Amino acid sequence: MKIMVCIKQVPDDSVKIELDESTGKPSVEGVEPIVNAFDTYALEMAARFLETGIEGEITTITMGDENSKSSIKNCLAVGASHGYVLHDDLFEGSDAQGTAYALGCAVRKIARDEGGDFDIVFCGIETSDETSGQTGPMLAESLGYSLVTNVIALEKKDGVLHVKQETEDGYNIVETPMPCVLTAARPNYDPRYPTIKSKMAARKMPIGELSAADIGARSDKTGESASLVKTIELAAPPKRKAGIKINEEDIEEASLKAFSIMTDANVL
Amino acid sequence: MAYIISDEAKDLLKDVKNFCDNEVLEQCKEFDRTGEYPADLFAQAGELGFTSLEIPEEFGGPGLSRVDTAALLEEMARADAGFATVISATGLGLKPVLIAGSDEQKQRAADLLMEGGLAAFCLTEPGAGSDAGSGKTSAVRDGDEYVINGRKCFITNGGHAQFYCVTAMTAKDAGVKGMSMFFVEKDTPGLSFGEHEDKMGIRTSSTCDVVFEDCRVPASAMIGEEGTGFETAMKTLDQARAWVGVLAVGIAQRAMDEAVAYGKERVQFGASILKQQALRFKVADMQIKIETARQMCAYALNLMDAGEPFAKESAIAKVYGSDIANECAAEAVQMFGGYGYIRDYPVEKLIRDAKIFQIFEGTNEIQRVVIANHVIGRI
Ligand SMILES: Cc1cc2nc3c(=O)[nH]c(=O)nc-3n(C[C@H](O)[C@H](O)[C@H](O)COP(=O)(O)OP(=O)(O)OC[C@H]3O[C@@H](n4cnc5c(N)ncnc54)[C@H](O)[C@@H]3O)c2cc1C
Repeated sequence: MKIMVCIKQVPDDSVKIELDESTGKPSVEGVEPIVNAFDTYALEMAARFLETGIEGEITTITMGDENSKSSIKNCLAVGASHGYVLHDDLFEGSDAQGTAYALGCAVRKIARDEGGDFDIVFCGIETSDETSGQTGPMLAESLGYSLVTNVIALEKKDGVLHVKQETEDGYNIVETPMPCVLTAARPNYDPRYPTIKSKMAARKMPIGELSAADIGARSDKTGESASLVKTIELAAPPKRKAGIKINEEDIEEASLKAFSIMTDANVL
Repeated sequence: MAYIISDEAKDLLKDVKNFCDNEVLEQCKEFDRTGEYPADLFAQAGELGFTSLEIPEEFGGPGLSRVDTAALLEEMARADAGFATVISATGLGLKPVLIAGSDEQKQRAADLLMEGGLAAFCLTEPGAGSDAGSGKTSAVRDGDEYVINGRKCFITNGGHAQFYCVTAMTAKDAGVKGMSMFFVEKDTPGLSFGEHEDKMGIRTSSTCDVVFEDCRVPASAMIGEEGTGFETAMKTLDQARAWVGVLAVGIAQRAMDEAVAYGKERVQFGASILKQQALRFKVADMQIKIETARQMCAYALNLMDAGEPFAKESAIAKVYGSDIANECAAEAVQMFGGYGYIRDYPVEKLIRDAKIFQIFEGTNEIQRVVIANHVIGRI
């Protein structure tokens, strides 16, 4: 079983990020880069899947700059065996489709080099920085693989992959042929922590670097010029107005006050 | 964070901080209240390799420098000093083996820790605290074995450690030259434990009596030569003191961080209280002390790594680190005002946690005896 997990390095989403008025971009300086949370769920699900006694290996890939190697290293410390960074000026400014195209080229290229197709290509459902949620499905399209979204567990039964897909009000169990693309939602556990040992070992593992030429990506299909989606402007959500405090101690009086405020505001 | 550390350690520090922020800090708040022992948390810490940090590379350890390790331990202490004490007391329990043990003993100790275990160091007895040489626990040779009898008290990790390094008299009338050190594994018959002490602070660590009743260990369990137990114990403490300083600095750093975060938000007289010079100077003084203490720890640890004499510096690091941890914790409570005195806020715990650092592994009075001896020499 060969599993590819696609990850993206994003700014730590536990930090409140403001829009920089002068550049119109989010100011992320000094914010720790981390692996997108949904991608860490994908990796953890893949690792747990293999730990059920399935022989196989996990490869991770990210499209990003030189310093996204540190995110790949983090993945190598928590279950991945191989890591790649896809980096080229050509990829700058890609939209989701351009990114999915490039990842697709890379997945095929690595499969050729490592001698065999990936059975599962795993992504997070979305990233915490751009939250477009399109890369996974577009990657499935680009590779021509089947797709299951919102995955929270997987199991192999009689040679068939059974995938638990989260829905609004429960879950579906879906059978899918392989190769397939899966996008991970949040399972009911947290990803493992790297151990001191696994981190030290991961630091010594080689990380492959791939350029557009290496993977045979075409310039008319990826990068800014090929982008169908253009970001015109980023805007911060409007600041919420301060609410009205009801200070009455008595419940009855407090309710009456609430009602009178609501009638005054013509919402009742 | 002003330890100068390797890139490797910087990487590990992020992971340790992440674990400490998400798990240790949060969980230990409640364990501090109940006094319950966070067994699962320590099992996890063991699996992550926190208790194996001080194992030398040749025995399977990570091979970090002492200052690298200090940066990680400080982060643990910043999250919860009791948690860090358990980790550091494991290092304390390992040291006699590393200082005087055979390669076989070293490998055995390392293996037990790498499986996620803890260690303990058993020197103190009810009648032998600061005067550690006056211990009464005995070890009598019987064929290929020693039979240990006696009671140790205040033993960190008692009841939870996989192995115990224990001092016992092998020659009753020979004074400290009659003391030897033994490697006693957890399930040895005759080894038992007292009640978990209900402590003022570091409540997430377990402290209890360790009791030996006709506890038989093979003669090969002796660490080093017969009669060298006291010397090994003193060498152990010489090293361990700098680590006590490291943990204390973690408490001090937490105190300052909390005080600054709170002070920025707290508005009185129409502005953040940190606009008041009186409080700004408190913060500056805390920072001066913390940084000075940290560098003293680093200096002592660097001397150890370099194989230079370090006993005086290690004692200074312990005294100064623990004194300033108490000062910073008290100042943090002061800066929180009345809220600082309330348990829902994080700083009163720091006062309770910091106090023990002036007491264990040689009280600060004893450290000053050590330092004065080094400076003054024989008169
Ligand atoms: C939470 C906790 C954990 C501990 N963990 C361990 C452990 O893992 N292993 C272990 O072996 N021990 C451990 N100890 C024991 C600790 O090291 C001793 O408590 C400490 O060394 C002091 O001994 P004592 O309590 O008997 O105090 P005493 O020696 O009775 O001291 C009482 C007071 O007299 C002062 N004093 C004594 N002699 C002198 C002197 N010559 N000059 C000036 N002042 C002096 C002391 O400084 C102190 O202020 C622990 C203790 C605690 C509370």
